[in-house]
Amino acid sequence: MGGEFEGVVRPRRTPRTRGGQALVEFAVVLPLFLLGLIGALDAGLWAVQTSAEVSAVEQAAMVASSAGSSPTSETAPDARAVLASVSGRLRSALFGTTIKSWCATNASGDCAPDATQRCPTTPAQVQDVDGPRVVVVCVSEADPPACATPPAGQLAPFPAGCEDSPMITVRVVGFVASFVPPGFGPGARGFELPANISATTHTLRFAP
Amino acid sequence: MRRRGRRGDDAQAVLETALVIPILLFLVCNFIAVMVQVTVQEQLNSATALAAQSRFQAPENALDPAGTRCCGVPGTSLSTAGLPTGCRYAAESFYGTMTTYTGLLHWQRATLCTSGGDSGNAANPPAQPVAYAGSPTNAQVSCDIGSVKSGGAVIPGYVDRALNPPAGLDVVTCTASASLDFANTPLAWGVFWTPTLHAQAEALPPPFRQ
Repeated sequence: MGGEFEGVVRPRRTPRTRGGQALVEFAVVLPLFLLGLIGALDAGLWAVQTSAEVSAVEQAAMVASSAGSSPTSETAPDARAVLASVSGRLRSALFGTTIKSWCATNASGDCAPDATQRCPTTPAQVQDVDGPRVVVVCVSEADPPACATPPAGQLAPFPAGCEDSPMITVRVVGFVASFVPPGFGPGARGFELPANISATTHTLRFAP
Repeated sequence: MRRRGRRGDDAQAVLETALVIPILLFLVCNFIAVMVQVTVQEQLNSATALAAQSRFQAPENALDPAGTRCCGVPGTSLSTAGLPTGCRYAAESFYGTMTTYTGLLHWQRATLCTSGGDSGNAANPPAQPVAYAGSPTNAQVSCDIGSVKSGGAVIPGYVDRALNPPAGLDVVTCTASASLDFANTPLAWGVFWTPTLHAQAEALPPPFRQ
């Protein structure tokens, strides 16, 4: 009898097959749901962290531009001193991330003068040196060209901009921690979020 | 009454999934877009504030010599010859800070250096600032800097009458506007709005300048 109706009447679905279908549906939907949930959480976290970085570099730039060794100083302070002034603000937002000051060392192992610091410009450069989940605070200084005697027909100061005060750039760069633990993200080192925020200003001179 | 077969159940499940997944992705895309907007607005505020404060890091009456240019993007750098040095400092700070997300922004170009605006009150009508002669008009930031003495006369800065009313205080103001365009990002799939971001910052002269 059973063979007679095979292929004509489908067997009724049992609770067991219904349970199997629900399991498959759940298995399909769960990764999508988690992807959406973690994506939304990470987007929110990224916004909070970036906001903290933006305000920190702004504050750091103001500190660096006005914290020379004397009122007429034209040399930016050491990155470590700048980091100390903003580390509290950064640490409260960048949990799970190591925050360091960038120090390009000279031949004797000391931090090179700020004018010769070569700040990393991409998060990958920081990751190569310090590993994942590390951001560095780097202070660099761009000095104006030295003034020279103007050629005939040109007015001093020469060249243009030689009397400018140096420009200070504070950069926070690296990969910050996210909700996805290391090893579970798409990258080899986890799913860190890139950070690359900078602020630039001239050093403060007590000019009239 | 007809009983629904397994094929019908499967089709319903596929249809439900096909409806839910785009909606879910749409929501996630728009959530991320809002976060990006908040972040870019923060950076715009920061760059504008640093620009306004930078004006005071230059000597008050210094003018840029001939041939001075700033904000060196090849082909689009701005000529600041004859303009107050403080205005170039402001622009350099703005351009130097606003370095990220530039691919998403369409700037509303403006006059770089202006002077003489007034917020106004009952006794004084509001006044728009006037462009400095020779100021570039295609800058991403516009600063009303004032306070430069020209031939013995002081060109006023922006008079903000909300500060120290009714006389007001001369302040430096910088403004910047840009629209945020997601068209060239993966978010364009589900984000159909293009918000305009606007930032304005005021800076008071430090005590030794007042």
